Amino acid sequence: MLKEVLSHIFREPATRKYPEVRPEIPEGFRGRQVFDVSLCISCGLCARDCPAKAIEMVDVEGKKRPLFHLDRCIFCYQCAESCPRNAIKSSKIFELASTDKSELVVEPKSGRGN
Amino acid sequence: MLVFPGFTFISLLTLVCDWVERKMEARMQNRMGPTYTGKAGILQPFADFTKLLAKEDIVPRDSKKIFFKFAPIIAFSIFTFAIFFMPIDGANVLTNSSFEGDLVFVLSLVLIANFFLFLSGWASTNPYSVIGATRVLTQFLGYDIPLFILALAPAFLANSLSFSAIASAQNIPFAILIPWAFILFIATLQAELEKDPFDIPHAETEIVGGYETEYSGRRLAFLKLAKDTQIVLGAAIAVELYLGGPYGPVLFGLPELSYALWFIVKVLFVVLITEYLTCVFARLRIDQVVVGNWKVLLPLSIVSLMLTIAVVVFSQLMGQGMM
Amino acid sequence: MSEKEQEILQKLREELGDRIIQVQTTRNEKLLIQVKIGAHKDAIRKLLNEDRNAGVSAITGVDLGDVISIMYHIRVHGDVITIKVEVPKENAKTTTICDIIPGADFHEREVSDLFGVTFEGHPNPKRLILPDDWPQNIFPLRKDVETANLVSTLDSRKSLYNEKNVAKGENVKIVFGPQHPALIEPEMFSLEVNGEIVKRVEPRIGYVHRGIEKATEQRTYLQNIYLVERICGICNACHAACFCQTVEEIIGLNIPARAKYLRTIILELNRIHSHMLLLGHAGTEIGYETFFHYMWRDREPIMDVVEMLTGNRVLASFITIGGVRRDIDEKMIPKIKEKLAILKNKLPFYKNLFENDPTIKMRTRNVGILSRKDALKLCVVGPVARGSGVKMDVRKDEPYAAYGEIPFNMVTYDDGDSWARLMVRLDEISEGLDIIEYALENLPSGPYRVRAPRVVPAGEAIDRVEAPRGELFYYIKSNNTAYPERVKVRTPTLANIRSFVNIAEGSNIADIPASLVSLDPCFSCTDR
Repeated sequence: MLKEVLSHIFREPATRKYPEVRPEIPEGFRGRQVFDVSLCISCGLCARDCPAKAIEMVDVEGKKRPLFHLDRCIFCYQCAESCPRNAIKSSKIFELASTDKSELVVEPKSGRGN
Repeated sequence: MLVFPGFTFISLLTLVCDWVERKMEARMQNRMGPTYTGKAGILQPFADFTKLLAKEDIVPRDSKKIFFKFAPIIAFSIFTFAIFFMPIDGANVLTNSSFEGDLVFVLSLVLIANFFLFLSGWASTNPYSVIGATRVLTQFLGYDIPLFILALAPAFLANSLSFSAIASAQNIPFAILIPWAFILFIATLQAELEKDPFDIPHAETEIVGGYETEYSGRRLAFLKLAKDTQIVLGAAIAVELYLGGPYGPVLFGLPELSYALWFIVKVLFVVLITEYLTCVFARLRIDQVVVGNWKVLLPLSIVSLMLTIAVVVFSQLMGQGMM
Repeated sequence: MSEKEQEILQKLREELGDRIIQVQTTRNEKLLIQVKIGAHKDAIRKLLNEDRNAGVSAITGVDLGDVISIMYHIRVHGDVITIKVEVPKENAKTTTICDIIPGADFHEREVSDLFGVTFEGHPNPKRLILPDDWPQNIFPLRKDVETANLVSTLDSRKSLYNEKNVAKGENVKIVFGPQHPALIEPEMFSLEVNGEIVKRVEPRIGYVHRGIEKATEQRTYLQNIYLVERICGICNACHAACFCQTVEEIIGLNIPARAKYLRTIILELNRIHSHMLLLGHAGTEIGYETFFHYMWRDREPIMDVVEMLTGNRVLASFITIGGVRRDIDEKMIPKIKEKLAILKNKLPFYKNLFENDPTIKMRTRNVGILSRKDALKLCVVGPVARGSGVKMDVRKDEPYAAYGEIPFNMVTYDDGDSWARLMVRLDEISEGLDIIEYALENLPSGPYRVRAPRVVPAGEAIDRVEAPRGELFYYIKSNNTAYPERVKVRTPTLANIRSFVNIAEGSNIADIPASLVSLDPCFSCTDR
């Protein structure tokens, strides 16, 4: 142990200087949802299966679409599994902390999420 | 006199030593340490101190208020006062302040200051503080005796009980002449400064904060500053007694400046050694510490003192014989 | 039913005669024997005499309308045999079994708290899980209590800590917790100390009780997987695995072989990361910060592998009813092997450290001794039991997932002190790495998931999984709807925490954090 400790003085630290240095995120990471409204068929299965009741079916242009409340979401992606048309996908965005709750939603706008 | 080498210098040295400690500990543990405050985190100890000054200062209702309020400040002042007797720039800080016997005086001041640290824990009537305070006393009273004995070894070699005389008598640092005493002195210093493996009085995971538990705000800032000053004082004593004081080859500029630089370098060296020992050991239990003192360290320090006296007598005889 | 079980059933029939009302067998061949009220003690005594290593695994209560069914799950010869007793709801009382096996202490108190059953003769009938000022006549897990109504009933509350008992004589009373730097989760241990020696320990758990067992009754099976995963963050894959296995037993679903291997991989990754976390935490407790930082730095490759496999570093959410949720990409396998090899190279350093470092030895050797006899009497599980020489591991006793096909060793040490318990975990890390390597080499091809019905037919099942902290026990009862009737979770720390009283009494205060951490307490699991 004695030698190991001494040798560490000359090594690079194992910690990164975040936020200047970003971590690498692997594929398949469960970050913020990306919702493709063109594939949605308004079945509502995502809202029914969500364990945290974080998806609310709201009315958008006459159809019911899911609104994701990120402050309730546990990022389990059961919604993506339940969706029969694969309209919900993940992204690598994980820096979601905010001081304003209205930012913590993914809206079902046409094309991309918030 | 107030600025250098005086109160400001000592406070800045304390903060720099704190930064060096934290950065070294971090590197030894393979992480970065303070990085964001100032360049390479140099302002971190200053930021910690200032932050604590701004926090709310709570005095527990049932504590003995006089002792609770003043014990940390008295401890801090005594430690700072004791540093003033160290020769830093070739002379003493307070002019004509060195006197024969100031070694004993300074070590007694350390004893009294530690007693005030104990009082600060005892006065806050919290079971954690009381246990921490009794541990301070148990550990300190035990390890003070080897500390005295090992401090006498250089006094014998230099034939004087004054810091400046001992410091200037070292053509070769005593650490090389009597290495056994130096090693034991460093071990006793670990116990004095309450660092691992003798970290017990403020063992976080067992007794929350030890004697620091009830303190907050500016009193906690002073308590922490007192502990840091104790570290600088301990390192300074080691430097004066064993590493040749502030004297070293004058490289450039005024002798005083050069001496001050050597003093700082040597103090940092001792701080690094103690920090390295902190990193490689776990914390011992109080009964293991007590046993370690009375059964191991005390006999060894007496033996080392006798060896040192033998060396002195031998060299005197050799000198007489040669003449 | 295996031969041994036939034998045991025969002996019980001889002993109890007509006091046996009914014998059922679940699909995975677990015996459920219903006996008359008062006969359970003789039945349990007979079962405990059958096997030296027998113990109480859990005690479950189920509300069946006008009776409350109390089930004593006894571990005998590596299998679980259940003795069932039904008591009427208006007069819910039965005799305790704590005099024949002290380890049933906490389990009985929990049933008494949550169902209102009085266990006559219990040595310490205080509240366990619910707070001290919970109203006396509301028993949350009974079916007539609706959680929506509880909020208004529980409005006025006094302080939680009951300060009535004062230490006698010269003993000082120190409260260790609920907020303490040594504890990552809140529980209270009130210690009576004399100088530095601890004379009495009284644990109080229940600070993190979230009522998860009641909450599972209001969510579908699919949503419940995610709920039980969050009982404990560190051993989340084991909870999900045990829940899914139990539901699959009720449905009668066989999962494909590839899914079994993938489940094994994620379960072993979970075990390794948990053990490394604990060893680092043990380092902090004994004051060895450097060791903590090194251990957690070396834990990072495991977190990266879990992130590659499941998309998240800690909460895997990988296992579902019918298999696993995603497949492993062939391109990932070399990367995974590379990362695991980094960790494997570091293990000899840690083993050397534990065996040779003087300060670690001084703090953990002969500290917190739990003798083998005590370990069996108190029914401890997992590395705590294996560190005291008891050979008990669900992966060997009743192989699940792919453990029946993968060769590995069970690690036991006989010393019974904190050092032995920490060494068990260190050795299990290297065993785990070998298991993952074997599984990756021999991964069968095929589907990784089968469809599971949303409505589960009526039935009940019991299953167990070896979590990092010990044997995790699930009992699920279904009633042909999409919602379960009763989910009972008995976490390993609930079985282990009782042994802390025996370990701590008589030791120094300074040894308390070291011994507590060697039990690896996970209080979120304990309280649910």
